Amino acid sequence: MGHPDRTNAPSDGEANARENLDVIFSATYEELRRLAASVRRSDPEATLSPTALVNEAWLKLSATPQVGYASHPHFRRIAARAMRQVLIEAARRRNASKRGGGAAMVTFTDSNDAIPSTAAELLALNDALEVLAQVNPRQAMVVESRFFGGFDVAETAELLRVSEATILRDWRAARAWLARELRATS
Amino acid sequence: MRQMDAARWERVQDLFHRVADLAKSEQLRILREECGADMKLHDEVMALLVEDARADSLLDRPVANIADAVLNAPDAGVRAGARFGAYTIRRKLGEGGMGVVYLADRVDLGSVAAIKVLRDAWLSPGLRERFAFEQRALAQLNHPSIATLFDAGTLPDGTPWFVMEYVEGVSLTSWCASRASTLQQRLRLFREVCAAVIHAHRHAIIHRDLKPSNVLVTEDGSVKLLDFGIAKQLDVLDDATRTRTGLRLMTPAYAAPEQIAGTHVGLHTDVYSLGVILYELIAGRLPFDLSDRTPGQAEAIVLESDPLRPSQAARLPAHGDSVPAPAVTRDEWKELDVLCLTAMHKEPGRRYPSVEALVRDVDHFVRGEPLEAQPDSARYRVSRFARRHWRPLAGTAAALVAVIALTAFYALRLADARNAAVAEAERTQQIQGFLMNLFQGGDEAVGPADSLRVITLIDRGAQEAARLDGEPEVQAALHETLGSIYQKLGKQERADTLLESALRQRQAIFDPQHPEIARSMVALGLLRADQARYDEAERFIRDGLGYLKQRLPPTDARIARATTALGVVLQNRGEYAKSIAVLQDAVRAQSGPARSRADLSASLTELANSYFYSGNYTASDSLNRIVLALDREIFGARHPHVADDLINLGAIQFEAGHYAEAERYDREALDIISSFYGADHQETASALVMLARAIVSQGRLDEATPILRQVLATQERVYGKSHPRVASALNELGRVAQRQGRLDEAEADFRRMADIYRNVYEDKHYLIGIALSNLAGVYAERREFVRAERMFRDVLRRYSETLEPDHLYVGIAHARLGRALLGQRRFAEGERESRVAYDLLLKLPSPPAPWVQFAGTDLVAAYDSLQRPADAARIRAEMAEGAGIRR
Repeated sequence: MGHPDRTNAPSDGEANARENLDVIFSATYEELRRLAASVRRSDPEATLSPTALVNEAWLKLSATPQVGYASHPHFRRIAARAMRQVLIEAARRRNASKRGGGAAMVTFTDSNDAIPSTAAELLALNDALEVLAQVNPRQAMVVESRFFGGFDVAETAELLRVSEATILRDWRAARAWLARELRATS
Repeated sequence: MRQMDAARWERVQDLFHRVADLAKSEQLRILREECGADMKLHDEVMALLVEDARADSLLDRPVANIADAVLNAPDAGVRAGARFGAYTIRRKLGEGGMGVVYLADRVDLGSVAAIKVLRDAWLSPGLRERFAFEQRALAQLNHPSIATLFDAGTLPDGTPWFVMEYVEGVSLTSWCASRASTLQQRLRLFREVCAAVIHAHRHAIIHRDLKPSNVLVTEDGSVKLLDFGIAKQLDVLDDATRTRTGLRLMTPAYAAPEQIAGTHVGLHTDVYSLGVILYELIAGRLPFDLSDRTPGQAEAIVLESDPLRPSQAARLPAHGDSVPAPAVTRDEWKELDVLCLTAMHKEPGRRYPSVEALVRDVDHFVRGEPLEAQPDSARYRVSRFARRHWRPLAGTAAALVAVIALTAFYALRLADARNAAVAEAERTQQIQGFLMNLFQGGDEAVGPADSLRVITLIDRGAQEAARLDGEPEVQAALHETLGSIYQKLGKQERADTLLESALRQRQAIFDPQHPEIARSMVALGLLRADQARYDEAERFIRDGLGYLKQRLPPTDARIARATTALGVVLQNRGEYAKSIAVLQDAVRAQSGPARSRADLSASLTELANSYFYSGNYTASDSLNRIVLALDREIFGARHPHVADDLINLGAIQFEAGHYAEAERYDREALDIISSFYGADHQETASALVMLARAIVSQGRLDEATPILRQVLATQERVYGKSHPRVASALNELGRVAQRQGRLDEAEADFRRMADIYRNVYEDKHYLIGIALSNLAGVYAERREFVRAERMFRDVLRRYSETLEPDHLYVGIAHARLGRALLGQRRFAEGERESRVAYDLLLKLPSPPAPWVQFAGTDLVAAYDSLQRPADAARIRAEMAEGAGIRR
């Protein structure tokens, strides 16, 4: 994982800014994980929308002193990364249980898994994004923000301080390349 | 995954964008021209074009759909027949806030129990903490009206579970409705509920989710209070946010205004909920009808509106949810109105200050005596109305919930003294978790840095406790709890004030030799030991132990615990022989059938520690192995207690100079601890220090440095700048710096370390000796031998006051003093010191090879300089043979 961008980081000293980012990140991450769990519990029918989760997390965390001074886009940028981690972590666990990880005293049922390959695909996407980030960090960021964070083109452009046309080009090429990578690994 | 290179990717993209929107034939033509012989380039762009035309990859699916697939896993159902310890699952009973509850059989005893398993444990460490909290709360509470905890453990995948008493019954309101109970019967049941809550409050646990469905009445009419899952404040907040997006509706019918506002939860919160329960029992309906309200409206109602008086509510026409109200006379209503509305006053400060006070008024009512509570004055009601908004009380009340919640971990009982490190960690983590919750209410006045300091929170708890003047028993319990927390946090003065106050209060309430007083004395004794005031420590504990022995049967666990405490004090003051004898007594006393294995393990650990400090590493090693086996049995293989045992075993290897073995133990322990607490946690950090020192001692300095810097940062963040755990990180950093020749840094580290120990332990503690000894080592390396000599002599003086004369550390100090003297070419004096060291070290049950080497080398050098070739040759020969040292 690269550094979270610090476009909107508070300006009271570099060290402070880092620390604040870490705090925001971990608070967000934890909140997303918790919300994901509670949504699941309370209403099995509910469709989990990461955008909704991010918004809820924002509603809640914006009142806290740790997160309160981050701007909303800044928060969402970090939240997109946290969302990616939540989903990847979940996918890893699903994948592991499929390979018979964590057997022993108690057997967990694992029956009605509707989309068996999603977890594996998500992990492949994650790997591919890491590779992309090596050669073109901005494109990886575009994908992360749009796909995981629900940013639209204008918001992504604003966030990364490039034109919307650039975002569209980045997205189109990155999407095609990632799609091909996913096909190659599946 | 294929390799990519940035320039290549630029070229591929470029071509891709140029041709992407052209007709197929155009695309092919341009690609042929541009790629020429580079068929790979051609193929790559073509592949992108193919993908560009399709829309069926993962990236084209709504991410919501993907999240559903990976997060909405089927419920982790536990199958019938699955085993949890001695229990076998029969069927699912239900699902609660955090976990699934199963009915289970204990085959060997032919009994049934309920097993609660945390769902989605992996999703959140916070969930795991709260689950563990409930388990520990139940373990602490021993009351006929609270379900008993039988067993607990963790599945191999880390999912925690616990076994508790299975209660078969119906909810409080259903019971009253189905039996058409009279007012007297209802009040009797209500009193029972209160008694259970009082018991919890005395153990500093707030239930925070009191409602009739959490109170079961069994067939024989006895009450059981259930569900100590603690995330109640958080849940209310969740619901507040959830409602905004319509994900779930919640009726905050029993939640106190401060819970809805998300702040200031405390004992008074349970008083409020009890008030609502009482209201429902006597009025036959809830104080607020929230059924057709939006959640926002419901919250506003609970926060802003005054409920109907119960007497008025009882006259309303019945509706679907109402419970038939009992017959109540007009005069009775007057009293009951005041009683109920006082309990559920919107302002916590105007409620009954405690559940005890509430119960007293219930009793007054039953006996026909005047109530203590007074109805609100007209003037108050007007001014409140004028304010319109319920406003949270400022600051002070906020922290009590955290303090009280965390005290559930607080091992006031000596049984847990041995597990202080773990308990402390859990506690600190819990505090921080609660702080996050507390400050989600947006207390801007408190900055994040300061608000996250544990100590700030405890300070507020102490202020809050000070307000409980009318409830000396509760106040004493809280003072003792908070005092012990201060003690663990290294704030001995504040600990002193509170523990003294707890003792005084108990002396005022109870007869002079009451077990509660004894308990206070033992707690104070342990503090005195920490303050290195050993005479007082010993006196307190011996007196307390004496009282306990007079009042309680010899097999009572409290006696064994106090005995263990005495052993610990003797151990602290360096009287290892006595300590060993006392701890052996404690161990023997726990050999009966009624023993608690956890207590036994605690006593054995201390016994092993006493052997360790006395230098009898062989005995310590074998005891620690027993404890390890015992703890694995009690707590499971991957429990922090087990990790502690491994660290103790590693420490023995370390002292014997077997650093690689020490490293192996430490790594095993670290693996357990970091998976239990997470990477960035003070417990993990402490285990890392042990690992790092083993690494340092094997000369892998570059490997150790980043670990130690991380550790130092963690410990300073958690404990502040002055805490023994910070000191132990500094010690290792100092050792690394010294070995790498950064002597100024090493000096600074050791100095800080010594200052911390001086600060925490007062001036007399062997740990100060170790710090100074290391500091003197830096002087010696700078060839400032006179200065080093002076300091080593100071160290020896300190050791002579705190350690046995033949202790390993004494030997080390003599050896190092010897070297400082040789450096001054004072060979005869140096020879004496090295000789003492050499002989002492070799007499130890497991002589530490590196130090024997150190002293032996110096001794040979001294004899060479003193021209005593025969002696030099003898020592050389002994060292060559290994001098009986296992390496």
